[in-house]
Amino acid sequence: MASLPEHAAENAFWFRDCFLMTMPIGQKAINLRELLHAMYEVSDAVLFYHLFQYRLAIIAPAVEYPNDFALWAANALQDAKLAEKLSSFDPFDYENLAQVRQAVIDLLEEYLWDLPYIPWARPGMEFHFCEASTVVFRSQISAGTMLEFYEALKKVGYDSIYYHLFEGRWRLGVREMDDFSYWIETNFDMPELVAAIRNMDIYFYSLREIHTSLLKLLEGCLEGPR
Amino acid sequence: MITLSEYAPIVGQEVIDQLERLAEGLGPARFVHVNSTYTGGGVAEILHRAVPLLNQLGLETAWHVIEGDPFFFETTKSMHNGLQGFKVELTRKMWEHYLEVNRANARKFDWEADFVLIHDPQPAFLINELRPRAAHWIWRCHIDVSRPHLPVWRLLRDIVNQYDSSVFSMPQFAQNLPHPQYIIHPSIDPLSDKNRELTDAEIQGVLNRLGIEKDKPIIIQVSRFDSFKDPLGVIQAFRMVRRHTPCQLILAGGRATDDPEGDRILAEVQEAAAGEPDIHILMLPPDAHYEINALQRASDIIVQKSTREGFGLTVTEAMWKGKPVIGGAVGGIVIQLQDYQTGFLVHSPEGCAFRIRYLLHRPEMARRMGQLAKEFVRNHFLITRHLRDYLTLLTIVRSPEGRVFEF
Repeated sequence: MASLPEHAAENAFWFRDCFLMTMPIGQKAINLRELLHAMYEVSDAVLFYHLFQYRLAIIAPAVEYPNDFALWAANALQDAKLAEKLSSFDPFDYENLAQVRQAVIDLLEEYLWDLPYIPWARPGMEFHFCEASTVVFRSQISAGTMLEFYEALKKVGYDSIYYHLFEGRWRLGVREMDDFSYWIETNFDMPELVAAIRNMDIYFYSLREIHTSLLKLLEGCLEGPR
Repeated sequence: MITLSEYAPIVGQEVIDQLERLAEGLGPARFVHVNSTYTGGGVAEILHRAVPLLNQLGLETAWHVIEGDPFFFETTKSMHNGLQGFKVELTRKMWEHYLEVNRANARKFDWEADFVLIHDPQPAFLINELRPRAAHWIWRCHIDVSRPHLPVWRLLRDIVNQYDSSVFSMPQFAQNLPHPQYIIHPSIDPLSDKNRELTDAEIQGVLNRLGIEKDKPIIIQVSRFDSFKDPLGVIQAFRMVRRHTPCQLILAGGRATDDPEGDRILAEVQEAAAGEPDIHILMLPPDAHYEINALQRASDIIVQKSTREGFGLTVTEAMWKGKPVIGGAVGGIVIQLQDYQTGFLVHSPEGCAFRIRYLLHRPEMARRMGQLAKEFVRNHFLITRHLRDYLTLLTIVRSPEGRVFEF
């Protein structure tokens, strides 16, 4: 991979901090059929929370399942097969939340169709639907050059990684583009690094793992010929 | 006085910078907290530290405590039990007294605020008397209200409905309310006497004073003597472990001024432990933070076998000390103890006994679990994260039209 260019970008990259307040909507599902029915009705904000934002609410040491629905299937319904199916589902394969919602509905409907019984949650482990409000602001961490970007990335929190990658991909309206790779692409001639960042399977990894992988990608450039 | 910068070595300077930026974005504001006790319980503990820190961040923050007679606190204890699901009866006389004590307190208060956070049901009715004194009224519920006794919840709901928003410790506790609900997990202070690092000599000094010999592994449960904390279940579990492995049990309990039930439960525990020299029952004063810290650090395994729990800050404290923790799979304990990673979740005295034995025989696993637990608390359950949530909450409730705020 190419070495890090030394020139400064036209516009510095300002890392954003992103703070989340989880907002339960007071609705719950006690079995899989109720979850399916709710999937037709809940707002996009609720869907977005359980597919993406929940990973900012509690950052577990190890991520076994990449979304709240899969986690619930495994822990509350104790249905490993459903958890596997929900884990393989990647919302970044779709263009918008309406398509994502339909995909989840199709998956749940097909699964229920073949079952002779309705899986129920263990008592006290009902699925509680939430949405979130976020406060996003410009942090004091910025980068003008790629070296500064690398140093800055070491300092930023997981909330910032979440914001620029996950929310970035939705905000920019292009699933495979995020804030980091967009800034690098428009300021530096580093197509391999840009492609490597866009090819990261971010939905599969924890925020901690994504952070480490990004740093490694940049370190790879640092070690390259100057 | 502890300053914000003293937390930087523990959580990182970036976290402190974030708090300052958030406070700056919020601008000048008056923030009032009201609860019902200065001592005892996690709420009072966190307010003691959070209020000065919020002031350092530029928020004009005050803390007021309502006063009540023993009948008032018996009533609110019944409400508390009812909200946690016990089928208690609140008589008309009790309810009238609850309202009257709130009115009497309201007459004494002269604060005005931009935001007021009312903690738990005891002072909730103040809103009825003092509504114009604050722009935003927020009800902060620390209790596990996942399955409240309906007659009690109905009474309280009529009051809570008047608030602009409410805050619960877990999504499970959220209710059908006509205003936005938020989740804020409680937190601990790593610099307080209860959580700061102690030397071996300090720990040994406390053990000597309390007459505890570290000749066998120590298992401890620290909590108020309250039926929901299931101290009798812990004794039962301990007796099962003892059939196989030598160990000793400490039940260390405090007493909050708003909890008249403590003495009765303590008597039951003493009876269950009678004639057993390896069970130590320690009734500690509410300010015995340093002793509790030392006891937790001296222990090999920490248990919190609650059958109902708001959040379970004793679990957080135990995890912060890098200890393996076994907890009842209820309330906030489920969030903190990610089963097999940051702790063990159990559902019965048998399960508790089994996990105690499991850890006593696998010290390496116990050590690893303790380390993961400590890092988990560092990221999620320290006071700096709590301050961040307060600032984020106030920023959001002030502009409820939108859901994303960028500045």
